[in-house]
Amino acid sequence: MAHTGTSARREFLAGCRDEAPLLLGVAPFGIIYGIAALAAGVPAWLAQLASAIVFAGAAQLVIVQMLAAGAGFIPIALTSGLLNLRHVLYSASMAEYVRHLPRRWRLLLAYVLTDEAYAVAVLRYQQRHAAAADHAEHTNATADLRHWYFLGAGFTLWAGWQLSTAAGLLFGTTIPPEWELDFAVPLTFIALLTLLLRERAGQAAALVAGLGALAFAALPYKLGLVAAIVLGLAAGAWTVRRLELAR
Amino acid sequence: MSTTALLLLLVLVGLLTYLYRYAMIGLFASRSLPRWLHALCLHIAPASFAALTASALFVAGGEVVFAFDTPRPWAALVAVLVAWRTRNVLATIGAGMAALYLLKLLFPT
Repeated sequence: MAHTGTSARREFLAGCRDEAPLLLGVAPFGIIYGIAALAAGVPAWLAQLASAIVFAGAAQLVIVQMLAAGAGFIPIALTSGLLNLRHVLYSASMAEYVRHLPRRWRLLLAYVLTDEAYAVAVLRYQQRHAAAADHAEHTNATADLRHWYFLGAGFTLWAGWQLSTAAGLLFGTTIPPEWELDFAVPLTFIALLTLLLRERAGQAAALVAGLGALAFAALPYKLGLVAAIVLGLAAGAWTVRRLELAR
Repeated sequence: MSTTALLLLLVLVGLLTYLYRYAMIGLFASRSLPRWLHALCLHIAPASFAALTASALFVAGGEVVFAFDTPRPWAALVAVLVAWRTRNVLATIGAGMAALYLLKLLFPT
């Protein structure tokens, strides 16, 4: 039993260690989010709490950006609710590895299933999967503790996200508005968008959604954004169909 | 938006996000993701970011404004070029902010 405890700790720490380099990429977003949240008039305690209850960087930046633009409750809920839907993909991809775990473990791991924790944990599962094929006997003999690795990665990201949010909230009060650091939010969207535009259907979805945002600009409470995104999704689906028919 | 409404909104989005994350490892653990939902998920991020970028740059007060006499659209253009060439998120943000400051310095209003 004591042996299992040490191995679990080792897996957890390995997860922490492998996730740590990703914090370099995550921390600037946390800081930008903290600063932008203050600029949008969100109380600091609520901005920090959001990092714990939403715990999704892109969605939090979207919420803050929309608040600053004067968007209403429903459009913000719909946009961020749609944007986060991609987590269903990660959940589906992780399912085969965590299905056997007790419910309390799955409830816990679901909370830390973010883009970056997923990226690290799924690699470990796939790597060990391949290794397990060679050393089937060995793997069967020792308990599978990879969920501890996943938890370590998730926990590290969580802690990094909370700390970088706090740093942004601390800096945010001292940075003069002339620095226009809120502009870092659309710049972040531009950077992420460029990385995502790899295939035709995604490009069509982005193009139509971008034009839609301008076409529906006059709709109240920024509902035009929701309409634009839905139209973009339709364009993406249509392009997929076209490409499949053409093949 | 009032602080209470915002708190409610955040709790709602947080719950929804948690449900997404728990969906396939908990709620529907025995089922696989439908193909249409998989395809939809792949396009959500590009569509959302494109709509938000276009809106942040060219919509002000419910109206479309192409303010090409202000630094922001040009700084965004620099960011697009850097993003396209480097595919590096931090370089893109850095270049965009640097371009903004440089333009403000060169053309003070």
